[in-house]
Amino acid sequence: MTDLHNYPPHERWHDWRELDAKAWPKREERRYTLVPTTCFNCEAGCGLVAYFDQETGEIRKIEGNPEHPGSRGRNCAKGPATLNQVYDPERILHPLKRAGERGEGRWERISWDQALEEIGGRIRQAIVEDRHNEIMYHVGRPGEDGYTDRVLKAWGVDGHNSHTNICSSNARIGYQSWMGHDRPSSDFANAEVIFLISAHLEAGHYFNPHAQRIMEAQAKGAKVIAVDPRLSNTGAKADYWLAPWPGTEPYLLLAIARLLVQDGTWNESFVRRWTNWETYLRRTRPDLPVEWSSVRTALLDEYAEYTPEAAEQKTAIDAGTIRELAELIGAHPTKLASHNWRAAGAGHLGGWQVARCLFFLNVLTGSVATKGGTAGNEMNKFKPAAPLGAPTIPRWNELEWPTEYPLSYHEMSILLPHFLNEGRGALEVYFSRVYNPVWTNPDGFTWLEALSDPEKVRCHVALTPTWSETAWFADYVLPMGVSVERHDVHSYETHAGRWIGFRQSAFRRFAEIRNGGELPPGTRSFEYNPGEVWEENEFWIDLSWRIDPDGSLGIRQWFESKARPGEPISVDEYYERMFADSVPDLAKAAAEAGQTPLEYMRDRGAYAVPTDPYEPYERPVDPADLEGCAKDDEGVYRKPGTPGTWSGDPDELDELKLAPLGDGSPAVDVDGEAKEGFPTPSKKLELFSTTLADWGWPEYATPKWIPSQVHWEDLDLAGTERILLPTFRIPTLIHTRSANSKWLNEISHRHPLWIHPEDAEELGIEEGGLVRVSTRIGHFVITAWRTEGIRPGVVAASHHMGRWRLDEEQGRSWGSGKAHLERDGSRWKLVREHGNQPWESSDPDTGRVWWNDTGVHQNATFCVQPDPISGMQCWHQKVDVTPAQPGDQYGDVVADTAKAREAYLDWLSLTRPATGDLRRPLWYARPLKPAAAAYRMPER
Amino acid sequence: MTRLGFLLDSDSCIGCHACTVACKSEHDVPLGVNRTWVKYIETGTFPDVARKFSVMRCNQCDDAPCMKICPTSALYRDPKGVVDFDDSNCIGCKSCMNACPYDALYINPETNTAHKCNMCNHRLEVGLEPSCQIVCPTQAITIGDLDDPTSKISRIVARDDVAVRAPEQNTKPKVFYRGADQASLDPTRTAIANDGLIWAETTPAHPTIPVALGTKPTDQPGVVGRTAYTTAHPMTWKSRVSGYLVTKAVAAGVMAVAALLVLLGHGDVQAAVGVVPPMVAGVFLAATGFLLITDLKQPTRFHYLLTRGNRTSWLVKGAYVLMAFSVVSAAWFLAGVLDAPDVLDWLAPLAALGAAGTAGYTAYLFAQCEGRDLWQTPLLLPVLLAQAVTAGGAVYAVLDLFMDVPAPTAVRWVLLGGVLATAALLAVELTSHGSRHVELAVHAMTRGAWAQQFWWGGVVLGLVVPAALTTLALGVDIDSPALVAVAGLAALGGMFAYEDAFVRAGQSVPLS
Repeated sequence: MTDLHNYPPHERWHDWRELDAKAWPKREERRYTLVPTTCFNCEAGCGLVAYFDQETGEIRKIEGNPEHPGSRGRNCAKGPATLNQVYDPERILHPLKRAGERGEGRWERISWDQALEEIGGRIRQAIVEDRHNEIMYHVGRPGEDGYTDRVLKAWGVDGHNSHTNICSSNARIGYQSWMGHDRPSSDFANAEVIFLISAHLEAGHYFNPHAQRIMEAQAKGAKVIAVDPRLSNTGAKADYWLAPWPGTEPYLLLAIARLLVQDGTWNESFVRRWTNWETYLRRTRPDLPVEWSSVRTALLDEYAEYTPEAAEQKTAIDAGTIRELAELIGAHPTKLASHNWRAAGAGHLGGWQVARCLFFLNVLTGSVATKGGTAGNEMNKFKPAAPLGAPTIPRWNELEWPTEYPLSYHEMSILLPHFLNEGRGALEVYFSRVYNPVWTNPDGFTWLEALSDPEKVRCHVALTPTWSETAWFADYVLPMGVSVERHDVHSYETHAGRWIGFRQSAFRRFAEIRNGGELPPGTRSFEYNPGEVWEENEFWIDLSWRIDPDGSLGIRQWFESKARPGEPISVDEYYERMFADSVPDLAKAAAEAGQTPLEYMRDRGAYAVPTDPYEPYERPVDPADLEGCAKDDEGVYRKPGTPGTWSGDPDELDELKLAPLGDGSPAVDVDGEAKEGFPTPSKKLELFSTTLADWGWPEYATPKWIPSQVHWEDLDLAGTERILLPTFRIPTLIHTRSANSKWLNEISHRHPLWIHPEDAEELGIEEGGLVRVSTRIGHFVITAWRTEGIRPGVVAASHHMGRWRLDEEQGRSWGSGKAHLERDGSRWKLVREHGNQPWESSDPDTGRVWWNDTGVHQNATFCVQPDPISGMQCWHQKVDVTPAQPGDQYGDVVADTAKAREAYLDWLSLTRPATGDLRRPLWYARPLKPAAAAYRMPER
Repeated sequence: MTRLGFLLDSDSCIGCHACTVACKSEHDVPLGVNRTWVKYIETGTFPDVARKFSVMRCNQCDDAPCMKICPTSALYRDPKGVVDFDDSNCIGCKSCMNACPYDALYINPETNTAHKCNMCNHRLEVGLEPSCQIVCPTQAITIGDLDDPTSKISRIVARDDVAVRAPEQNTKPKVFYRGADQASLDPTRTAIANDGLIWAETTPAHPTIPVALGTKPTDQPGVVGRTAYTTAHPMTWKSRVSGYLVTKAVAAGVMAVAALLVLLGHGDVQAAVGVVPPMVAGVFLAATGFLLITDLKQPTRFHYLLTRGNRTSWLVKGAYVLMAFSVVSAAWFLAGVLDAPDVLDWLAPLAALGAAGTAGYTAYLFAQCEGRDLWQTPLLLPVLLAQAVTAGGAVYAVLDLFMDVPAPTAVRWVLLGGVLATAALLAVELTSHGSRHVELAVHAMTRGAWAQQFWWGGVVLGLVVPAALTTLALGVDIDSPALVAVAGLAALGGMFAYEDAFVRAGQSVPLS
């Protein structure tokens, strides 16, 4: 038995014979066609292969894709569970239009043609009337690179809104402040020390690919440090699990940084070559000579207070452990792979300093884009140019990019209903896609109010494969496919390497293979997918066509086939051109396989883009590229016509060409050589961020600890105040997208409040008893789970559960309970009627549901708490934890939207709005980066 | 030879449950049951706390108790060493679920047959690794040939510290764990706390050691941590099996006493010795068959016991015993009706033997239940025999109300003797020390969930009352058949209460 394989040989994927598992031991052969695609459950984009039964035309199972460089054929539970989502008896199969009032739950089935005509007409009207900013596309998990951006650009609409500031704003600005790149790409597989402030073995960016490589490294001897106030599965596997007081992580990290400098175990030559230490000295220590030897003095002075003992007092992590960690990290120069995403970063006011202070350790050890270090995402991500291109947007939408938050990463999405309430704008057409703000966002009842108000949101189109709390309040619910039903490309920085993944409608591909490799021209994937489930790619093409049927608005041209002029471009043509023209060496690899580039990708689903992943900043720059550039005092080669040489005159903005990231300067002089450097203004790692200093936050120009809104020293811990961690993932679920998987929900369906036994005793909370958790704007009622796996003073509940539906029959899932809403002025109450129950459907398993608990919707009781710099929702909550009061029922959720508005204004008052001529630094990344002129601050 | 096993690497396992879902998908496993799952335990106190993961599944034992007990060879070993199953043979008797010390089997609600991990044998046949192995992000699951010293699994088993579950059951498991905490593998070392599992509901079917209200799992003796995640494993043998033990005891007992009466020279009493006892036995044997067949998940396949019988199974041997005993009883009935006491003389030893076999074979059947240590007590055979004697005495005590029973005193002595013998055997059973598993089961029976039933039903009603009443009848020489009949009925009622407690308590100890 030495000849077992993990997957069928690739050359037999079109016609693979396997024995039927259920008929076994009878040998019943089934014939399958294997079609690769990409998982859409989390953000990792792992490869999948759908097994189509040639007899029934249905997918029998979904496995991993061995051709995928990131996931390497392996998956987490959510990969194979995709099958449930495809065949879920409650999924939406046809386009629906609201028939009653919003939220009433009455729907009529309409055709795609009607949906396109009506929605396209509205958008056309808005564009014709120059109301571009009333069109908004609000996306949760995009799951794709660039396609929808191109659509919005073609429309000339600055309407991209995202989920970033409930997720990763803080981590992004932390990383970006250092290296320009706003995401880390850790080479875990080759690391010797792995430092995680996140839970990458169960969640994180990117769970499965990262877990593979972290465990691989640990098996080779790497030490894993995991920081989390509760015992995550990652903490459980780590060599060091540290549970500091939430929000004090930067303090801990700076104490380690200080020891590295003090003990001389830092990588001095790297820091000298690659940080902007001269600027650091000039701006922070004018008393010291601008020479390298001053840096040690300056750093030790700056971080003098961060001793291990002081850190112990502040963080509750033992000083001895801090020294041990510093020794460990110092002993492995260039081999520290660290990562922060969400977790502490997403919890706190100033949480962006977590990523910044963590990456400080990479900088100090020289572990930046080294083998075993941490790189920037763009170094390991590959975004092919979009065929047909797209114009640059000349507009700026303040509903996403308000002047109060000039440095936000990215859109201030959580504030949208407040902006609408304040009359900052209205929405003619609001698309929500893989996004469920009523449930997911803080302050859900304010969202509910806004989305129910036809004055504020005139038309809401929910693009979704399944029912959600938000879709319930939409005007159109348009079924968009899950991973095996849609097209897009994507690339993620899962490791030291680059790849591009191709998601495809596997149903369409199966039909194509069965048809001998051809489908009729003008075909649409909803003809092949279950029901009339469609996909965004084709939907946007056809919608754009309806917006501009005669081409007079200049939109249609961006969606027109080159092969068949006058016709909309097909996905085949679009991706054929992309793969043939824009992916290095893909055409060659395809030719070697005797295929076209598109066939090659349709048969493999992913492609490893050739790359040299390490130390790209050290690459010399071709002198030809420096022609016309002037080297400034910092040694940066500045290029005319870019922000790097902008005089500051707002009138000259019209002439500037913006780079996607960075200021357009091509190189930096390092020890006499022109090097590629980093996409920051200094082209180096920024120990001192001139941007933060010049945009209103000079006190945070260097890595610092900022006390959080839930800092323990400010709480009445002797009383009932505690810190609530309401956002942690578990390995089997993915926000609100996994409720339609029976297998995932069977494994995990409750999320009791983790509480340390000492806290439970002090607060009088019984074992398994009901707890009332009160926030600034309301409360929720949940059950307690006593565990030693959490720091006393901290309570926590995973965010996945607590889904609800307002209708008994419609929109059921394996994870939602029946509830109703009560409203008294601004006070809302969500009352749980019952949890999960067995029901009759085409799937006999619905009758076997054995669990009742569906959890408690926590987020609606949180006010918005945007970090004044990054815009990140600071998720962690200061709460009162008490036993439930008489009349409290499990699942009660109460919130007051008037109080929520007060809280919004309080947090808004922490901001330091842009005061200069620009809305935002020109070098900062931004989705749908508009023309430089759009950055000009308007006259007020 | 090929001898496939699994290496489950708890060092690498991150507890993600991908294997669980891949398995559900590959085999279309319905909700509520699992071929494989990931167990979480937690130990320690903050901040020195651990959560440990271990994958639970069939152990593909070299000496597989499920195969031995399976009455129809629906469970079989294939040439690669896989313990596999064939739906078309399974009668749904659930004995495999009690034979397995690993909670590996379940009844598939779609097919009503027993299923379990078969190492994805249908995949192995076409050269593919099991679906759990290919999905695992951290390659913590490895299949391999234990007979090939160069295989990865053989090399790791040879060189690394590996462990198996329940080695004391001597099943020769072929699933090896690397890096697994002993408490992860021993289900009696952790318990589900009263506030439940980490992210799933706890049902009565979730196996655990009971934790007293208001106490932590680690407050229970021998428990070192909490079970934070596991899956449900419902009890499979319930009142039908307890009932069958009683109906069978009645049939056996009444014939045994009849045989005794023949030996005492009362073979010529046609009604009370020749005709009625085999009628009673017949009725109760029919009831026994009825209970057994209706307890099958595939009752229409009951005849497979004979047509596809597996001779190592005591279910099959028991069926033969019951049939033989039925034949003897029928012959007895014929002889009784024809009033042929000479034949009865000749049949009496056979009847006694058949009765003993009928009453006692279950001890061998239960002994094949490697997952239920309580049932494996060597005292079970004498207990069953004593119960049959009690039942025989009890039936005759009742018959004494309606007909002329020869030697009623002897019958009363039989009843008292059976009761006293049972009491003595129980006393020995409860006071002797067994494995931790036995002690937990005895605790469940005598002080836990079944204590009321055990003490009030099994002991007071089943032993104290009949002993007292019979002693009264014998000692004070009150000739009151009614009194003894009441004693007999009490003994039978108590017997059911005791057996039910015994059957259920035996299944109450967690195996996973």
